[in-house]
Amino acid sequence: MITVTINRKKINLEKPVTILKAARMAGIEIPTLCNHEMLEPFGGCRLCLVEIEKMPRLQTSCTQYVTDGMVVWTETEKVVEARKAMLEFLLINHALDCPYCDKAGECDLQDVTAKYGPATGRFAEGKRRHPESFDDPIIVRNMERCISCTRCVRMCSKVQGAYAISMVNRSSKTFVEPFSGGRYDCEYCGNCLTVCPVGAIMSRMHRHTYRPWQIEKEADTVCSFCGVGCSMVLQVRGNSIVRAVPRETGGSNKGLLCNRGRFGYDYVVSSGRLDSPMIKRDGKFRRASWSEAFTYIAGRLKKIKEDSGGNSIAGIVSGRCTNEDGYVFQKFMRAVLGSNNIDSVASFGYAQAQRFFEGIFGQGVTANSMRGIPNSDGVFVVGGDPTAVNPVLGLQIRAAAGKGVPVTAVGYMPGLKIFAANRPMPKPFTETALLSAMVTELRNIKGISGKGLFDKLIKDIPPVSLGEAEEVCGVPSKDIRSAVDALSRMTNPSIVIGMDIIRRTEGQANLLLLAALVSLLNSRIYLLSELPNEQGLTDMGCLPDMLPGGRHLTVESFRRRYEEFFGVDIPSSPGMGIMEMIEAAHDKKIKALYVMGEDLVYSMPDSAYVKAALSKLDFLVMHDIFMTETAGLADVVIPSLSWSEKEGSYTNLERRMQIVRKAVEGKGMEEWRAVSEISRLLGFNMDYKSSGDVIAEIAKVSPLHKDITYEDMTGECMWPYKGEPLRHGISLEDIEMPDKGSLLKRPEKDRIYIGVDKPLFHFETLSRNSEALSSIAPEPYMNVGKALAGRLFLAEGDSANVSTAAGSLKLSVRVDPDIPDNSVMVPDNFGDKGVYAIMQWKVNSALKAPVTDAEGVTIKKMKHAAEEVAV
Amino acid sequence: MLSENTVKEIGLIRSKYHDAQSSLLPALYVVQREHGWLSPEALKEVGEILNVPKAEVKGVSTFYAMFRHKPIGRHLIQLCTNVACMIMGSENLLNILKDRYGLEPNGTTVDGRFSLVVMECIGACGTAPAMLVDTDFHDNLTEKRITEILESYK
Repeated sequence: MITVTINRKKINLEKPVTILKAARMAGIEIPTLCNHEMLEPFGGCRLCLVEIEKMPRLQTSCTQYVTDGMVVWTETEKVVEARKAMLEFLLINHALDCPYCDKAGECDLQDVTAKYGPATGRFAEGKRRHPESFDDPIIVRNMERCISCTRCVRMCSKVQGAYAISMVNRSSKTFVEPFSGGRYDCEYCGNCLTVCPVGAIMSRMHRHTYRPWQIEKEADTVCSFCGVGCSMVLQVRGNSIVRAVPRETGGSNKGLLCNRGRFGYDYVVSSGRLDSPMIKRDGKFRRASWSEAFTYIAGRLKKIKEDSGGNSIAGIVSGRCTNEDGYVFQKFMRAVLGSNNIDSVASFGYAQAQRFFEGIFGQGVTANSMRGIPNSDGVFVVGGDPTAVNPVLGLQIRAAAGKGVPVTAVGYMPGLKIFAANRPMPKPFTETALLSAMVTELRNIKGISGKGLFDKLIKDIPPVSLGEAEEVCGVPSKDIRSAVDALSRMTNPSIVIGMDIIRRTEGQANLLLLAALVSLLNSRIYLLSELPNEQGLTDMGCLPDMLPGGRHLTVESFRRRYEEFFGVDIPSSPGMGIMEMIEAAHDKKIKALYVMGEDLVYSMPDSAYVKAALSKLDFLVMHDIFMTETAGLADVVIPSLSWSEKEGSYTNLERRMQIVRKAVEGKGMEEWRAVSEISRLLGFNMDYKSSGDVIAEIAKVSPLHKDITYEDMTGECMWPYKGEPLRHGISLEDIEMPDKGSLLKRPEKDRIYIGVDKPLFHFETLSRNSEALSSIAPEPYMNVGKALAGRLFLAEGDSANVSTAAGSLKLSVRVDPDIPDNSVMVPDNFGDKGVYAIMQWKVNSALKAPVTDAEGVTIKKMKHAAEEVAV
Repeated sequence: MLSENTVKEIGLIRSKYHDAQSSLLPALYVVQREHGWLSPEALKEVGEILNVPKAEVKGVSTFYAMFRHKPIGRHLIQLCTNVACMIMGSENLLNILKDRYGLEPNGTTVDGRFSLVVMECIGACGTAPAMLVDTDFHDNLTEKRITEILESYK
């Protein structure tokens, strides 16, 4: 026990902390400029100086640890005088342009100067001049205001791990700059904005549009740009969002945000927003009233149900929809239309992966807190770059690496390049061979009892030697061996799985191999989730065979529970999955499709095929906030609300339930509200006045969400909530044992493979509507490796054509030495210029998920706009 | 582009240090020896070789006065103008450099032969005035001697 006395107040501590921390714990405020909760102590600004008895000089309380019996004074005359002197120094060069500085009102320097600072300075020399830098589209730097506290640099390197800025030059010419001196070449997380205590680094997005004290409303919400669901605050003035800032406590992000969350919100005010329902007649959309649109939809659906049965109607939910939307929609489909044909894009891998792992290890096995990653003793990442797909989860991996935890990153992961100790780089789509060899080796090292059901299965996996794997995937045996050795030493590793590994011909084999790794290493599983509510939709029963609460539809007693609750029968056999729906539309086996917010044409492979399928439908209903390509094909379009315009809840990839709150008014309608209106017109009463009514119903009927309320979601609302977690019996009968041939499938010789690139700066096709994100990453591209670029005479910035049997795209070329040879990566965010526009339709029949491997392409360099050079 | 030898030498330097950051200063010296200055491209390349982020390379290299970030002439004259050298006539030497070579402090001759930097004390007060040409030390300078010395640098 340590007892320290600060300003006569006795403070008892278990562990030594800094004087600053001890003081804050006791409610004693000590001013600081360079210290920040999220950063290591620095001791640079000298404002936190305190007097310690028996020590001759003042000490910086942010770096000085308390000792037993220490007596500290924080506001003596000597201390106050020293602070005043420090501020006089800082203000020599700080531009006193507070009247038009955006920071004024929430500026730390302003606050401490008001309290301690001198009213005038004694320096007669002029201030240093340095023009404000507008070289960047998003971030404006004003180095005349910089006080060199280095918070931004420390944030950028030590926390974000982007290492994009540094202090350049020395003494009074010290400025914060990116390497270029102008535009940033960074991840645009904007976490430097969070920590800047003055107005030196500011966002251009809200420049001079408000003063901090003019913020009228703060919506405490979560971000909707990926499955992490960072907690954030939307600050509102008038009816517009002025900025998005992280909430410093709580949530999984603990004060961090990424570029999408911080700057991407401006799509909300994009000019293309739909503001009225539209009905298409004679091939032309015309505006309609809400009731007209609902009556029309109800009428058409009723007729189709009567003529062709409920099974001819299918529904798709977007991963951006809330739990409330998802619940009401599946109820509508099942109880009103009598169809289990309901699915979402979570079934592009996430739902399958979760089901697979839960089948083996029990429900909730993927519900792990992200903060556990830095506390594990090893991280294994495969199937996608977490720092791009789920940026803030990626930071946890970087934090782990920063603590010396060995990270193994399989495949192309630019964001983990300098953090991963092992980076095996298999040839395109040959991770299966690598994983097989790892499982074989680990099985030998760790040994398996062979008693448990799954152990028996692991035993049956055909052995693959390091040499065999090397021959197929090209990763040297010794590298696989060192990855295996690193893994075998771990006692509580984390395995992070991206969906790319599942969207494969060998998707199920990959899942089995990963499950074997999880079992052999006793590790935690983290599934990367590209959309904000994939987990929630899965839990809400937006699946063809699952009911809300994660129970199978064919479980009689469980289905009956819902039938009794809804007061109608639910079809007892599972419906179609999303891939089957599109195929069924193509074969005219379904007549109507009800889509909530998913731009199917560009979020599924083979745009032409999907478009053709949708065009064959008798009736297509679309809810969206923009007139997307898919909405353009619809018969009725209902304007939705963006995430910042509605209330509801999301469940993130940790299975944390969080509240989405309304910040601004929109012109659309919540999906659940519209659906319940239509339901009423079809004779099934759904009487929800608010999203709270919906969650109340969910809390009543879903065993997983038993008794849950919005109040519960304001804290750490983690799985299994208040519900009863269901430990499934191990269901292994569905698992097909891959043969050795499929584990060792070689890439075709000389074939160039195309893969899906997941860029950090974009989010499905929605982010195209954000001016901010578009200004960071404006154009579609193809990413090729150095060797391939060399063979095709391609250089950075060239224009080239990439084509498959399904089509071709003209894109600008990026060369990245880390891309495996013979592969080209194209992002899926650019609509008709995205990878799905030219990827062929292929379905993994076991997983019912898209297959995005095995696509061969030809690349042709374009010399000028019209001229092609064949190579 | 750094020469093959420089890249090799940087690799050797890297192997002598525990972490990449520690090997940065000696690596920058090697590059400056080859090019005379540190171009942004060279900084970037050093960063890539050592796996040190380029922004950090820039931060470090701009902190130290001995690293140059602008091209300089083939030979660098560092003339001391501190108290002892000033009393012993270094200002006159500056004038000579200006008259004869058109060389101003922080400037470079038109033919790219010499660059001039004015130094604070280089520790030769007893034999002032003094200068460094590249890494060669010259003291007891007079009008005649400085011309003779400089003529030996082509």
